[in-house]
Amino acid sequence: MSATLPSLQRARPASGRGQADWDALARAGSRRRAIGQGLLMAFLVTVSVPILLPYFWMFTISVSARTGGVESAVLWRSIGILVPAVLALGFLNLLTEPGIRRLYAAAGIVVVAGTTLAWAIGPDLHLQNWAFLRDPNFVENLSGRGAGTVEAQFPSVWTAFGNSLMLAGVQTFLVLSVATLAGYYLSRFDFQGRASFLQALLVLHAFPAMTLIIPIFLLMHWTGLLDTITGVILVIATLELPFAVFIMKGFFDAVPWDIEMQALVDGASRRRAFLEVVFPQVKVGLLAVGVFSFIRGWEEYVFVRTLLFDKQNWTMSLYIFWVSDDIMGVDYGVVAAVGVFYVAPSILLYVFCQKYLVQMSLGGIKG
Amino acid sequence: MATTDPSSAAARRQLANMALFLGPATVLLFMFFIAPVVVDVFVAFTDMGRSLEVTEFTTANFERMLTNDSRIGPTMAVTFTYVLLTLGIFNVTFGLLLALATTAVPERSGAFFRAIWLLPRMSPSVVYALLWAWMIGPTDRGLINQVAVGWLGLEPIDVLSNQPMLLIVLANGFIGASMGMIIFTSAIRAIPEHLFHAARVDGAGPLAVTWHITLPALRWPLSFITVYQTLSLLVSFEYIWLITNGGPFYDTMVFALYVYKRAFENGQYAYGAALSLILVAIGIAASLFMWRLLDMQRLLQTPRIEVQ
Repeated sequence: MSATLPSLQRARPASGRGQADWDALARAGSRRRAIGQGLLMAFLVTVSVPILLPYFWMFTISVSARTGGVESAVLWRSIGILVPAVLALGFLNLLTEPGIRRLYAAAGIVVVAGTTLAWAIGPDLHLQNWAFLRDPNFVENLSGRGAGTVEAQFPSVWTAFGNSLMLAGVQTFLVLSVATLAGYYLSRFDFQGRASFLQALLVLHAFPAMTLIIPIFLLMHWTGLLDTITGVILVIATLELPFAVFIMKGFFDAVPWDIEMQALVDGASRRRAFLEVVFPQVKVGLLAVGVFSFIRGWEEYVFVRTLLFDKQNWTMSLYIFWVSDDIMGVDYGVVAAVGVFYVAPSILLYVFCQKYLVQMSLGGIKG
Repeated sequence: MATTDPSSAAARRQLANMALFLGPATVLLFMFFIAPVVVDVFVAFTDMGRSLEVTEFTTANFERMLTNDSRIGPTMAVTFTYVLLTLGIFNVTFGLLLALATTAVPERSGAFFRAIWLLPRMSPSVVYALLWAWMIGPTDRGLINQVAVGWLGLEPIDVLSNQPMLLIVLANGFIGASMGMIIFTSAIRAIPEHLFHAARVDGAGPLAVTWHITLPALRWPLSFITVYQTLSLLVSFEYIWLITNGGPFYDTMVFALYVYKRAFENGQYAYGAALSLILVAIGIAASLFMWRLLDMQRLLQTPRIEVQ
């Protein structure tokens, strides 16, 4: 119930029932509203905890687990400290006025929580699980494994990291340039077959490319692109393309016609008007599509698993898959550390570019 | 711009522009969307095996598909259950709940919770699957069992062996719900504010406002999400492959994963191509249906500058 309802009615001449009733109603209304908001927040927190908890657990394992075990005491101890601290900060935010005293109180809570945390879990923390960053033969060096087990030999994590970076980066560049050109043309030019081209593109956008994985594999085999990163880049970029073209067309549609018309009147060609006048107006669109394509290329698994075999061509997804496949029972700490290392770029990019990503309302390939 | 033959010069320029702007996209789309469909149909009528060589043209694949493959029925049944449960519980219902809840709380908190729910979609699938493997670990080390055994005093729960269907529905649903959430949120945002004010002045409570104002405005997004997500759930197998690998036995073997395994694990490429024709047909039908759902008029409005 909105708090504006009683105040609206109070504006009318006071009836025989008196003023006090309206104030009571207003209080009851805002109480009901507070309870409703509290329940909604409780619901959202409850359903969101199962999502966050595993990520947090992976992080604590990566900095605390020792070979042969999964460390979970660190997880529960740090949750026991962090949850009250976050709750206290939340209540402080709700119940006090903004100002220097609130800042001091918040700093106090953070310091107390930090000290308790350092005391409670500090001795358990270590960085041994991150040895994979330096030593490509880390699997052989784990205790309980003899050196020289052939199947345990992995490429350096930096090879996989570089491959993933190249795959995601080049793919993003390809998607951006091709989709910008096509999106601009579809937005601004009238040509024969424009309607059918757009319709075909829309059908392709909805069409699930995963169903074509067998013929794509065969095409790669026949063209000699199988087991090359170039081949995977071309495939993934194309699958992203219908979606990216639509988004870019939408951003071009939003650029006012007048600036372009002005450039044409001033004697610029269509190409020059595109490059110098319209193109700078769609930077947000480029950023949105770029971030989305990059995250998509960075996380790709099914196509790289199907189209790449050589260890030197492994991406991060294949690297972590085979590492976990090989040493999961022996050393959770290393697997968790690789996981954190792999997931961090995605999450950082997502957190920092979130406001651009939400500008694309129609998206997403996964179920 | 004076030329001797303006019409042919303009036509040439138009062609050059078209090749420059539309050419790259057309070539790529043709290579990896159109050509694969043709190749798939072609290979489905051959006997291509592990050697990737074609020795004869045959309809044996289709005969086998229709008469001699006892796996197709069960995998279809698994697919149907999986799609229905995931879509009904998570992608539509829970997505809607999340959108309603996050738009009813203050904007910053709402955005925060939506960001949390998008996290699984943004993280690499292998890592996401790994997290599930750790969640459901059957010994008392798994996160669920730490709570169930350590706090509630229950027997250790082995989700993977006992409730594999529940597992893949949950794992895909946690990702699937976020798509509906995003679409529904932007649809709710687009409802004119004065409708809510008018309803409240008329004495409608929050539930009545949701029922009479918000939900009717979501009719189109709801049908879009239902069709779109049905299609992606039908054909995607990534998370199932990573988390249960179709097991135990064939309990979570959805059709798309079965097709993939026939081709790439058993080396029966021709038979896999024939099987995936079913998926391609479903895909084409559903995308044509979705094309009718979308607002084509707005999309197709012709541009206004006619200078080439």
